[in-house]
Amino acid sequence: MKLNIEGLLVYFPYDYIYPEQYSYMLELKRTLDAKGHGVLEMPSGTGKTISLLSLIVAYQRAFPLDVTKLIYCSRTVPEIEKVVEELRKLMEFYAKETGERNNFLALALSSRKNLCIHPEVSSLRFGKEVDGKCHSLTASYIRAQRHVNPNQPVCRFYEEFDAVGRQVPLPAGIYNLDDLKDFGRRKGWCPYYLARYAILHANIVVYSYHYLLDPKIADLVSKELAKKSVVVFDEAHNIDNVCIDSMSVNITRRTLDRCQNNVDTLQNTIQKIKETDAAKLREEYRRLVEGLKEANVARETDIYLSNPVLPDEILKEAVPGTIRTAEHFVGFLRRFLEYLKSRLRVHHVVQESAPQFLKDIFDKVCIDRKPLRFCAERLQSLLRTLEIADIADFSAVTLISNFATLVSTYSQGFTIIIEPFEDRTPTIANPVLHFSCMDPSIAIKPVFQRFQSVIITSGTLSPLDIYPRILDFRPVTMASFTMTLARTCLCPLIVGRGNDQVALSSKFETREDFAVIRNYGNLLLEMSAVVPDGIVAFFTSYVYMENIVASWYEQGILENIQRNKLIFIETQDAAETSMALEKYQEACENGRGAILLSVARGKVSEGIDFVHHFGRAVIMFGVPYVYTQSRILKARLEYLRDQFQIRENDFLTFDAMRHAAQCVGRAIRGKTDYGLMIFADKRYARADKRGKLPRWIQEHINDGSLNLTVDETVQLSKHFLRQMAQPFRQEDQLGLSLLTLEQLESEEMLQKITQIAHQT
Amino acid sequence: MASLSEEVLLVVKKVRQRKQDGTLYLMAERVAWGPEGKDRFTVSHLYADIRCQKISPDGKAKIQLQLVLHTGESTTFHFANESSALKDRDATKELLQQLLPKFKKKANKELEEKNRMLQEDPVLFQLYKDLVVSQVISAEEFWANRLGGINNTDPAVVNNKQEVGISGAFLADIRPQTDGCNGLRYNLTADIIESIFRTYPAVKQKYSENVPHNLTEKEFWTRFFQSHYFHRDRINTGTQDIFSECAKQDEKGLKSLVIQGVKNPLVDLLSLEDKTLDEGYGICTTLPSTSNANKTVKESSNSAIIKRFNHHSAMVLAAGSRKGVFTSLLTASSSETSSTDGNSRDSDFFQPPVKKVKLQEAIEYEDLQRENRPKTVALNLKKSDRYAHGPVPLQSQHYTTSQDIINSVNYIRHEMMNYKPNLTEVLSSTAASSAIAALSPGGVLMQAGAQQAINQMVPTEVQGELKHLYVAAGELLRHFWSCFPVNTPFLEEKVMKMKSNLERFQVTKLCPFQEKIQRQYLSTNLTGHLEEMLQTAYSKFHIWQTRRMMRKT
Repeated sequence: MKLNIEGLLVYFPYDYIYPEQYSYMLELKRTLDAKGHGVLEMPSGTGKTISLLSLIVAYQRAFPLDVTKLIYCSRTVPEIEKVVEELRKLMEFYAKETGERNNFLALALSSRKNLCIHPEVSSLRFGKEVDGKCHSLTASYIRAQRHVNPNQPVCRFYEEFDAVGRQVPLPAGIYNLDDLKDFGRRKGWCPYYLARYAILHANIVVYSYHYLLDPKIADLVSKELAKKSVVVFDEAHNIDNVCIDSMSVNITRRTLDRCQNNVDTLQNTIQKIKETDAAKLREEYRRLVEGLKEANVARETDIYLSNPVLPDEILKEAVPGTIRTAEHFVGFLRRFLEYLKSRLRVHHVVQESAPQFLKDIFDKVCIDRKPLRFCAERLQSLLRTLEIADIADFSAVTLISNFATLVSTYSQGFTIIIEPFEDRTPTIANPVLHFSCMDPSIAIKPVFQRFQSVIITSGTLSPLDIYPRILDFRPVTMASFTMTLARTCLCPLIVGRGNDQVALSSKFETREDFAVIRNYGNLLLEMSAVVPDGIVAFFTSYVYMENIVASWYEQGILENIQRNKLIFIETQDAAETSMALEKYQEACENGRGAILLSVARGKVSEGIDFVHHFGRAVIMFGVPYVYTQSRILKARLEYLRDQFQIRENDFLTFDAMRHAAQCVGRAIRGKTDYGLMIFADKRYARADKRGKLPRWIQEHINDGSLNLTVDETVQLSKHFLRQMAQPFRQEDQLGLSLLTLEQLESEEMLQKITQIAHQT
Repeated sequence: MASLSEEVLLVVKKVRQRKQDGTLYLMAERVAWGPEGKDRFTVSHLYADIRCQKISPDGKAKIQLQLVLHTGESTTFHFANESSALKDRDATKELLQQLLPKFKKKANKELEEKNRMLQEDPVLFQLYKDLVVSQVISAEEFWANRLGGINNTDPAVVNNKQEVGISGAFLADIRPQTDGCNGLRYNLTADIIESIFRTYPAVKQKYSENVPHNLTEKEFWTRFFQSHYFHRDRINTGTQDIFSECAKQDEKGLKSLVIQGVKNPLVDLLSLEDKTLDEGYGICTTLPSTSNANKTVKESSNSAIIKRFNHHSAMVLAAGSRKGVFTSLLTASSSETSSTDGNSRDSDFFQPPVKKVKLQEAIEYEDLQRENRPKTVALNLKKSDRYAHGPVPLQSQHYTTSQDIINSVNYIRHEMMNYKPNLTEVLSSTAASSAIAALSPGGVLMQAGAQQAINQMVPTEVQGELKHLYVAAGELLRHFWSCFPVNTPFLEEKVMKMKSNLERFQVTKLCPFQEKIQRQYLSTNLTGHLEEMLQTAYSKFHIWQTRRMMRKT
């Protein structure tokens, strides 16, 4: 249908529309008009993606000069592909309605592992291997060597692309990852570099967060994207962790050992080159003196050429004299390495700030701040001069030099923690130096500064106001949308007690309590008899799940559950879990029914949807608090309190509740879907916990569903499931949660719609 | 004593049967008992007839062994030799245990097959009742060319019965019970053993390797329940356990499954993440170096339990659909087959379709789309069998959709509403009534339809009976005609027998029926055709017989 969103003609590729989609588009339009940032929460399964795409594409067509590009960031590869497929649907609708093929270019970009078509390279299993192998075939000096030595193996796809690919722009159209590969195969061009080149003039780019948030990658890939772009972070409820991860470094003794080897190799290589080709080193030195930047042509394929710090922090001066010659720099690295080794030899936990660390290093081994800042850049220059093919081997020394650059660049927002052993095993020495970022706003700041509109959206962003605070930006719109429902297809229940009135909770004091574990087991057992097809149960942590499973096994609870359903359990091994997941779905498909035991914050809880019969009930055992004893977390909490005035408890509860909401939200993926959401912990009944759940879940929790016993839960579930199993047709929804164009345009409905958006 | 052409495998003296002392003989094909001092057997059972044997519990005063036959009868032997009764009984039991299965399979299979055929085919069952139960022909004759025919047909048709899956909790059903003195008792039934074998092929392999050469069955299962393999939470203590190999094999199978990866890209956690952080970056890392070294015993036993549950569920699931993926699991250790299923790494050609479909499924909002399907009408059946056996349309390729039917009904309704009789062009009343008379049953134009009226004029039970008669007669005639050309003495004999069978049929079945219908319907000659068929057979027989006589003379 064609919609009129405050004067903007929006093509929407469906015959009907959910009221909240209309409302969402309205808010989005206002955000774009204001050229500001927005935070929008809308339940999953209400067609968030298609609403976003429809509106922004319409906006791009209407105001091609104001919004030149849409950068859509999502989290996982399947999600990226889903977005592109939805976009394809939209574009097909455009073509059908307007009768002309528009010249939109949209494409997905992913890592080499997902795009490579080189027969040998693409057969490697791990991303890192693929990157390394690719680099060894396409690095600038390798290709330069080929002029001298034609036997040097190179990647013919890249060569072909380099020769002709750049002259001809990618024809307009929608390119998913597989489409890019097909195109690449047909033309004989490398799809990865083709995509990287094409994003510069594409109208829509879909890729992963890291390409924008991780400075090491962003600098390479996203540097030249236009400022007049709209950036969308979908599934953004975890965005702060992504930011923090990309700026944090951990150094173990193993890292240092490997680094030592790397430095030795560097030394030897320098020695060798000195004997054969001293001119090369002299040339490098001369360049460094003059402060010449590397020629941009070569940059593309040299993946290590990235600075770990944000672009505006990189110094625009020449490398300081002390580390200009290769030998000096290697010596410098050795000193730095020895210093780190000595720091790891501690017997007690040390925590210090970056300035403290810098002062200490200056006192002990006389290393200045400035050469440290250039460490990463200097190493890159050296690696290239030495023409080292397999850079994957040099990951340790790269890590160390990145750490050096980071620690000397940022004086705030980071902390250094040295732990001589793990807390659980104090007898085994395993020293680790954590250099952790505590301020997610550091990594995302350039994004907010650079792009005119940044939209942060997800199904679970409550409470909305916390994101602008921890990410340090000022949004022009913040809105939470509910799911309008013709029938209440979600049923949140809070189980607080067992049948024997024992309070159910995963809190630390009662964690090992057999009564609680048994009652949890009974809950699962009873539900397994009532709920059809699939049940997903989430535990607060992996260790907790292991313990509970073991004691359920001893008590024979699992055996009884097996009478009703098959049991699959998430393990720490991703491949094994994938298999378990597939078998779980198979068991749901063939009618046997299955239970998946899984972990909140785990991979399953983050990336897998349990639509329809794959998840008729989700049980959340306990409140998934993060492990609070970790020093890194403590430091972060302290920082949040000092810098952003966020109380520790508020943040912890917020964090726990967003993960709980993520877990239970996995079961509802649309209005025709239905599912139980069982919160098995009495603490959920408290207002401070409940209030932090997304509004679309919260509004279905009434007083009757608080602090239930297991029996009551089973009764309510039975009732709910029986009701939901009745046929549900389109006519039942029409006019309430599903609108035709005429219904949408009625005065009354427009008024209702304004209430859907809950402004904060 | 007996005709010693049979091989006697075991002789047990002092065995009482019906309070009579005697001797029990186990022979190659049967078990027999004769009272003391007599020269013949009063009890004799073929092994094939025996369904099972039962023994009295260990503590009982009387040491007995009971044989239950397929017919449901049973014979009980009481071992009365005071000194060696128990030993005798056990020896008998062991021997029977080995002998019975050999015969059982054959007998059971046939019996089951016959049973199944009779159950699945009501017509056959009726025929069986008509011919065998009323003793027109013997059971062997009846089955003689039926079973053969069945065995030749496509086995897929025979085995199309849906296989029953395995309960996920079959291991839970073998709850151990304490027997009072520090021991555990496990109750195993044939079903559970079957389940174990189907779920854990490795155990089955072990079983066939070891039983009965190295271990008795009992020992085997005792070891099974003691093994680490059964109790996964116990840490493996030694390698002398025969099941440790099973565990390894399972592990291998699991690993090969894991390596094969998943077909649905949406659940593949390995390729979920687009760009993983390099090693050393990131915040919450459980460091790889610490994974194995400092795991406590408890932790590793916990993870063993988890592994076991995943494996168990996968195997149970696979046992239900054995044909598919899991056959490769058994052979996966030899790894050459794993590439044949098209699921290997480089199969780029197979992946996209699955992926495309899954992606499309994932982005579909069915309620946002208008339903474009043509409107349908739900079928409301009063008699479903009439629907199933309804008339076959002559032009089977010319179907009309429900939409068309609705349209035409609407059209007709519309027509009818607007119908105005044109009174100037009606028929005269005489012409009209003669036309109606001609079109009524019995009228000039309805002659052709008169014969069909039979199924309206005869009550259903007579119809049914007639049908059965036809089927039975057909069967007998088939036997009869299949004897021609008569070229062996056997066939000669048979044709004579069939002739008498036919005559008997006519006398015992057909004539009573004829009388019955004559009592009710005087004129209808329902059995005319049947008699005609019989007459043809008789005349053929006579011709054949006279010719034979001529040849003989």
